[in-house]
Amino acid sequence: MNFSSSTFGKLLTGRGSRQGLWLLPFAIALAMALWLAVTTSQFGQWSNLANLVAQGMPLLITAVGQMFVVLVGGLDLSIGSVVSFTTAILALDLPGYVTIPGVFLFAGLIGATNGYCITRLNVHPIVATLSMQYVVLGITRVLRPVSGGTVPEGVRWLVEGSLFGLPLPILWGIATLLVAWKLLYGSRYGLHLFAIGGGVAACSDDAARNFGIPASRNILLAYVICSLFAALAGVFLAGRIVSGDPNVGLLMELDAITAVAIGGTQLSGGVGSLHGTVIGVVVLALLSNGMNLLNVTPFVQTAVKGILLMAVVALQSRKKIGL
Amino acid sequence: MSSIIKKIGLSVLLAGVVFATNGFAQEVPLLEGVTVRAENNPTVEEGKYKKDAPWVIGMSSFGVNANTWTVQVAHEAQAAADRDKRITKFVLLDAGFDQKKQVADIEDLIAQKVDAIIVQPVTSTSANASIEKAIAAGIPVVLHTGRIESEAYTTEIQGGAEHFGKVMGDFLVKELGGKGNIWVLRGLAGHPEDANRYNGLKQSLEGTEIKIAAEEHGDWQYDKAKKVCETLYLNDPNVAGIWSSGADMTRACVDVFKQFGAAIPPISGEGNNGFFGQWIADGFKSVSSEYSPAQGAAGIRAAVALLEGKALHKHYDYNPPGWDLEKVKKYYRDDLSANVWWPSELSEEQLKEFYAKQ
Repeated sequence: MNFSSSTFGKLLTGRGSRQGLWLLPFAIALAMALWLAVTTSQFGQWSNLANLVAQGMPLLITAVGQMFVVLVGGLDLSIGSVVSFTTAILALDLPGYVTIPGVFLFAGLIGATNGYCITRLNVHPIVATLSMQYVVLGITRVLRPVSGGTVPEGVRWLVEGSLFGLPLPILWGIATLLVAWKLLYGSRYGLHLFAIGGGVAACSDDAARNFGIPASRNILLAYVICSLFAALAGVFLAGRIVSGDPNVGLLMELDAITAVAIGGTQLSGGVGSLHGTVIGVVVLALLSNGMNLLNVTPFVQTAVKGILLMAVVALQSRKKIGL
Repeated sequence: MSSIIKKIGLSVLLAGVVFATNGFAQEVPLLEGVTVRAENNPTVEEGKYKKDAPWVIGMSSFGVNANTWTVQVAHEAQAAADRDKRITKFVLLDAGFDQKKQVADIEDLIAQKVDAIIVQPVTSTSANASIEKAIAAGIPVVLHTGRIESEAYTTEIQGGAEHFGKVMGDFLVKELGGKGNIWVLRGLAGHPEDANRYNGLKQSLEGTEIKIAAEEHGDWQYDKAKKVCETLYLNDPNVAGIWSSGADMTRACVDVFKQFGAAIPPISGEGNNGFFGQWIADGFKSVSSEYSPAQGAAGIRAAVALLEGKALHKHYDYNPPGWDLEKVKKYYRDDLSANVWWPSELSEEQLKEFYAKQ
């Protein structure tokens, strides 16, 4: 009996589960938290935990959005640009009641265009969203070639303030997860996403369609949702850096994909869980915060992240090679 | 009349206060070539950040692994911290040119309750809010190798990119007698350092008959600059001088002229050991703008001075003159690799450990 076929092995690697691998990263996150609590005096302090939540929030929001498209066997590489664009718009000298709805409208259009190209024009998700990344980045750099400007004070308060003693970033997290949970597990749409993704993973793009599921429309909607979450992350980030920055979202799409993958969502689609994505984000946030607290040299930090990602993702069982 | 006398008296008193306040700041030796800014330069109150040793000092770098210069800044800072036995811990965090990470890094340093924070900002705005948080937490913040659009920091040591570019531009104006066609090799498009160095060149060229015949971005990289120079040379080899924004691009362009067997025109460079070796060996006309990685050490000294309770000025400028071949010969080390930058404060052992030729 080998490791992965044993009951314990199945539990750890998530083989056969629609929720994917999440117990192993959960164990890693727990071990990291315990280790940091024992070895550093600062980790358990309220100020550090509040930092941890605020630092991880943009990643959580983008990763949750990314999960929707990964579940249908896709990827969205344009979300980092949408984040940058959002900060650039919010830092314009315009009132928040104009800029905030504006960025969500724009993000929705970006997502719809991505989805249309992928579902109707049969453009590969990587090509479609990478092209969109360049388009949005170009527009952002025209609007704001270098960082600057100031975001409305209200946006800063939404990120740095507190309500009844509770830091507002925690509420951002709760709201994000509630919306995502409702969409994924509390609606027919979520069920359809898993069915479509399962079909893609099994190399049968028409499987869901044959059961009467409007696959194209649902996939397009997944890209719209992903872009809207990216805009939300952009609003949060703008409140943290209190300015607009054309490059602030660079590589966020890869961080989000990393978190989703660590959390056990199969990049081939159809398998994954919201709690797994949260765990993936926690692992990455703990890794970054922990290495800072442990004074791990910058020359080593990057390598540690790469090794962890490779170790966790390598344990995922794959039935097909591909996205 | 009495009103005039009162006004004069008040003016003299105010002037006295201003001069006395400036005079209270002690002249802490931060780095050779660093000077106190002459105007609009308040003083950090003496004893404001005084704290008994031992100290923990944190540093948020914009990107340690960006190139060999940034790596050396980290080494210089670490070495300076190691030399001062009152510093028991030096925490160096690398933002990797990620604005979000720099914000998080500074927050982590605040959470660790470090005694002072040194920041090399990724951009001029993204770290402002977290720097304000550090100041609000009573932690002094020293800024270097990058300006921010906020006055929230405690003290700054800033090398002027315009000055850097102007030193190079002035050299070309002098060598060319104020007329001729030049090529301009710029750094990374959109990077503030590139734009500011270029502005320095433009200042030098004002009122001269020097024309920019070609202007390309070599991204401060040897490979890209070599392709650019090859193309420019094949297009039109007649060029009177070359303004190169970085040493690696200078080395690339010199290699192109050697490759075609052509005379090397006057070309600007900077304090890199590889460039120095090439300049000495080939004997072309050049100048080396100074931008020492030892600014990393200067940041440590400024932080220590604040923790000692010394009154520092808020603004320090680092605008040293260019180096000629004679000065370059004194610094060049044939036994070290092209990756070391001058001037350096690393010990002989450290230089050999990090940069000895294999």
